[in-house]
Amino acid sequence: MTAGESGAPAAAIKGAGAQRRLGGFALQEYALVIVVVLLFVAGAILKPDSFPTWDNVRNMLTQASVVGVLAMGMTFVIATSGIDLSVGSVLAAAGMFGGILVDPEGSTLVFIVGTLAFATLLGTVNAISISYGRVVPFIATLAMFSIARGIALLLNDKLPVSLLDLNGGSFGDPAAFSLLWFGTGRILGIPISVYVFLGITLGAWVLLNRTRYGRFVVAVGGNREAARIAGVPVRRTIFTVYVLMGVLVGVAAVLLCARLGSASPVSGNLYELDAIGAVVIGGTSLAGGRASIVGTFLGVLTFALIFSLMTQLDLSTEVQQVVKGAIVLGAVLLQRPEARL
Amino acid sequence: MSLRRLMIAMAAAALLAFGAAACADDDDDGGGGSNAADTASQEESGTPASSGDGGPVTIVASVPPTDHGWLGAISKNAEEAADQFDDVDFRLLEAADSDSQAQQIEQVISDKPDALVVLPQDGEALTPVAQKAENAGIPVINVDRLFSAPDAATATILGDNYQIGVSAADYIGEELNCKGKVVEIQGLAGISVTEERTKGFTDELKKVCPDGGVEIVAKQPGDFNPDTGLKVMENILQAQDQIDAVYTHDDDMAQGVVQAIRNAGREDEMFLTGVGGSQDAMEQIEEGGLYRATFLYNPSMAASAVNMARLIALGEGFSELVPPEVPRQVIVPAATVTQENVEEYKEYAFN
Amino acid sequence: MEGTPTLDVRGLVKEFPGVKALKGVDFDVRAGEVHCLLGPNGAGKSTLIKCVSGVVEPTGGEIFLGGEPLPVGDPAASLARGVATIYQELDLVDELTVAQSVFLAHEPRRGPFLDLDKMSRETTALLTRLGHEGIAPRAKIGSLRPAAQQIVSIARALSHDVRLLIMDEPSAILDDGEIETLFEVVRRLTADGVAVVYITHRLDEIRRIGNRVTVLSDGRTAATGLPAGTPTDKLVELMVGRAVERLYPERPTGHGDVVLEVRGLRRLPEVRSVSLELRAGEVVGLGGLVGAGRTELLRLIYGLDQPDEGEVYVDGTRLPPDRADRAIEAGLGFAPEDRKSQGLLLDWSLTKNVSLADLGRFQRGLLNVRAERSAAEEHLRALQTVPDDPDRIVRELSGGNQQKVVLARWLLRRCRVLLLDEPTRGVDVATKAELYRVITDLAAEGLAVLVVSSELEELMGICTRILVMREGELVFEIEGSRATEQELLRYAVVPTDTEDFVEEVR
Repeated sequence: MTAGESGAPAAAIKGAGAQRRLGGFALQEYALVIVVVLLFVAGAILKPDSFPTWDNVRNMLTQASVVGVLAMGMTFVIATSGIDLSVGSVLAAAGMFGGILVDPEGSTLVFIVGTLAFATLLGTVNAISISYGRVVPFIATLAMFSIARGIALLLNDKLPVSLLDLNGGSFGDPAAFSLLWFGTGRILGIPISVYVFLGITLGAWVLLNRTRYGRFVVAVGGNREAARIAGVPVRRTIFTVYVLMGVLVGVAAVLLCARLGSASPVSGNLYELDAIGAVVIGGTSLAGGRASIVGTFLGVLTFALIFSLMTQLDLSTEVQQVVKGAIVLGAVLLQRPEARL
Repeated sequence: MSLRRLMIAMAAAALLAFGAAACADDDDDGGGGSNAADTASQEESGTPASSGDGGPVTIVASVPPTDHGWLGAISKNAEEAADQFDDVDFRLLEAADSDSQAQQIEQVISDKPDALVVLPQDGEALTPVAQKAENAGIPVINVDRLFSAPDAATATILGDNYQIGVSAADYIGEELNCKGKVVEIQGLAGISVTEERTKGFTDELKKVCPDGGVEIVAKQPGDFNPDTGLKVMENILQAQDQIDAVYTHDDDMAQGVVQAIRNAGREDEMFLTGVGGSQDAMEQIEEGGLYRATFLYNPSMAASAVNMARLIALGEGFSELVPPEVPRQVIVPAATVTQENVEEYKEYAFN
Repeated sequence: MEGTPTLDVRGLVKEFPGVKALKGVDFDVRAGEVHCLLGPNGAGKSTLIKCVSGVVEPTGGEIFLGGEPLPVGDPAASLARGVATIYQELDLVDELTVAQSVFLAHEPRRGPFLDLDKMSRETTALLTRLGHEGIAPRAKIGSLRPAAQQIVSIARALSHDVRLLIMDEPSAILDDGEIETLFEVVRRLTADGVAVVYITHRLDEIRRIGNRVTVLSDGRTAATGLPAGTPTDKLVELMVGRAVERLYPERPTGHGDVVLEVRGLRRLPEVRSVSLELRAGEVVGLGGLVGAGRTELLRLIYGLDQPDEGEVYVDGTRLPPDRADRAIEAGLGFAPEDRKSQGLLLDWSLTKNVSLADLGRFQRGLLNVRAERSAAEEHLRALQTVPDDPDRIVRELSGGNQQKVVLARWLLRRCRVLLLDEPTRGVDVATKAELYRVITDLAAEGLAVLVVSSELEELMGICTRILVMREGELVFEIEGSRATEQELLRYAVVPTDTEDFVEEVR
């Protein structure tokens, strides 16, 4: 095909392309909305007494919060055509770090700051090795996956740290701003962790779509050389996405420990796959250059719905795996062709 | 790849293979032509081929990744037991997963230790390499998770997972007076530990409460870790209005389950049992309330395994038996630990 | 060359859903002829050749090959009857060897095994036929220069029995020396009786290699069988459908202050030592062969690569080396040679591509997307981009319009020095004229422009001054109005090969 000449067929495609863009946009983003709605309806039909209740919705959103926060950070990382395989292990390590800071006595503030700081530190190590050390993200974060898990196990000799004292109230009704409050406390009937999740989602959307930085992130993933030529600070952009991911892992660690009431060295197992999965079925391309926070949000909801529904239906593990795989495949097939890659 | 490169690569591979074969023990070739190879490997590893003479014995223990308190206690118990003996040279290897555990054991075989203690990540997957060790003349002591072939180990020491399920069913059936709704939070799906604990429970429940008054309303895997336990229990609590008892496969995992129940404010509605005997569990049982009982077979079985390994390597046996021998299979009983007897078991709690 | 034409196309019609690409095209090519096919984007050139090669099935009309009707819509049939096509984006795989590529999908066999010896021998024979026996059959495609890769492509076509060779803008990736070599190859083929369809945007090539010309416009034959010597203006008029003012606008004179100064810039081995000055209002051309170091020079000035030595000054202030962001801040703009892979983000909208170099302007806390869009639209309109809807995806635009998007970016940024690398490559003549106008207009407004181009005619048409680069150094400078192709070529070419490469140009 000649570079200069598009020819009449291209004109046809241009017309269809505009339409496909409009229709495609509708199909892609809304495909996942359709999946979410279908899952919810299925749950309502199969478990009419327990599924379609506010309580259950609250429950699912709370469960989605931890992976959801991770997925938001992962969206940025994947948008630069990178990947972070270490988030689950760093989550455990950060929680354990915060945990030993407050063991046997300590305050919620110390725990939160300690956890966030440690997670950010590990994220920064990733950032340095990837942007300055020029290590391929897959390898760098795979190494951190292993290192962080080791750290998590070492910090308290393979044992968990109980955080139940950071409560200041009773179990169902923890004192405001104590650690357990972040896990189970509510404002206006909505759990705190859901506020955190939604807040971060909103922040992520604004950052990606309404700031220069967000544009840079997608440019780096879309075409690194072209971005560089246009003046995008490539190295700095890549560096910051991994640091940002670290911060969000810290937030997720706080949320999980708050709900668990303890910091566990074996937690966060394979969370990175859940996060990556949610991002990818949401339409963000693994090759970089195209990202959607709305898509990630819907992807997170989809997985949360699937898990909740199948557990409540008491499906056996084998059946669960088949069903989950089928739903994911279906969601991806509904998306427009370019989005699939 | 050109033909030349292919030939070079194949030659290199062949060299490596021959080298490895030469270094490996080849007892099953028969004594005859392999004397040179035998002496060569002896010189390389520097340990005597076998010691029926009471000299220092090398024992290597292979355990799966310590992602769990109980496994951590196993490792510690094994090490402590070995320390007690002057004549034992002990090495502990921790593997990342089934495949790497198999590879590690393969390498160990060429070192020719006097005995090998193995707690396999997956009994079936590691049976071939255990058979190989046995064929190479290294006695294998199989701990906790059973190999799938009898010739894969000289002796086995097991906790009886099936028995745990049985004990749990007895306890729960009695506490509920054979009437109520039970939730089962299993361990990691698909491994023998989990299957046994589930099977023991369901079988015994049918016997103890034949009229079906006890109903298992939900059965989901908690993967032996607390955050999965938490998530799964949260959902089950959503789906079930009334739960009378929760049978969990593991104390560590149960902490997450307990938290879910607490967060939902339903501690008074049900009671819970665990497995393993962790410190946290013991404390909660002592306090009373939601956590009523745990069933355990002691991680100290690892110490017993090391003892047995030493005896086998030294060519001795249990002096209590006539003639002194090391029995082929030792089954450690499962104990039911409740508030009444928790004092006795606290010293064995793993921590 | 009389008798049955090798290719005879009569009344060819092709309709796609919603669009009629060919509305009745008549066209014939004789044996041993080079018939050039000319036309603006969208005229139907590629559809026409796709019908002949069987990739596309025509809706109506007939195609005769050597007097026999050609089964349509069947690429294998066309290939079997001797139709071979060389596309502009060569469909070669870097990892394969020359011999493997030439015989891909029809390798000679001995029983179930490949006959490697025969493959090698026949490859060499084909290359010799093309005058390029120097290319090793065992060499990997990735190690060859584009010109050599193209020869391999032609050899592949010849490995089938070819009667009609279709070449789609083959000179786009070549420099002048290599083009002449290509023409040699074409002449050898036509001497053997092969008929050649040669698609090009370069009017000078038609004069040099063509026998006849057919002009397509809007799916119809505007004129066919014209002699290759037909004047440029007439050809352009036929293409565009109306009389077009001169292809080249008024030459800018450039008397402003020195805006860009380069001193002793060096990066071995491509750039040996270059010093130059650029004044406001000038368009300075940089001619030379591929490999002379021109692109590398632009990249050094712009700060994409680290120089070994030398300085760059903008308005007297030194630019830190290897810092493209600072260069942009100082007012430089760069349109790279490969606009698709380096200049644009193809899946992005026009707006986002245009604003990328100056996003800070639209950000007060958050991005003002509406302001961004309207600013982009304004600049796209000013350049007469088609379509100018800023929400369209850049990938959908033609090459010429994509180039306008790149230029719009730098206009939005209000840059002061524009570095352009082969800006009209792959662009049709009508759009070229527009681009020339844009460039000269910008110069008139006070920009300084440095243009790298392999089209000497183009440089001679729009440049205030022309510099010639050879093997990393500037070897010649002349006012644009006084330059001649011969002189420029003479300085561009490495002395020892002069005899082989340069032919007397009219």
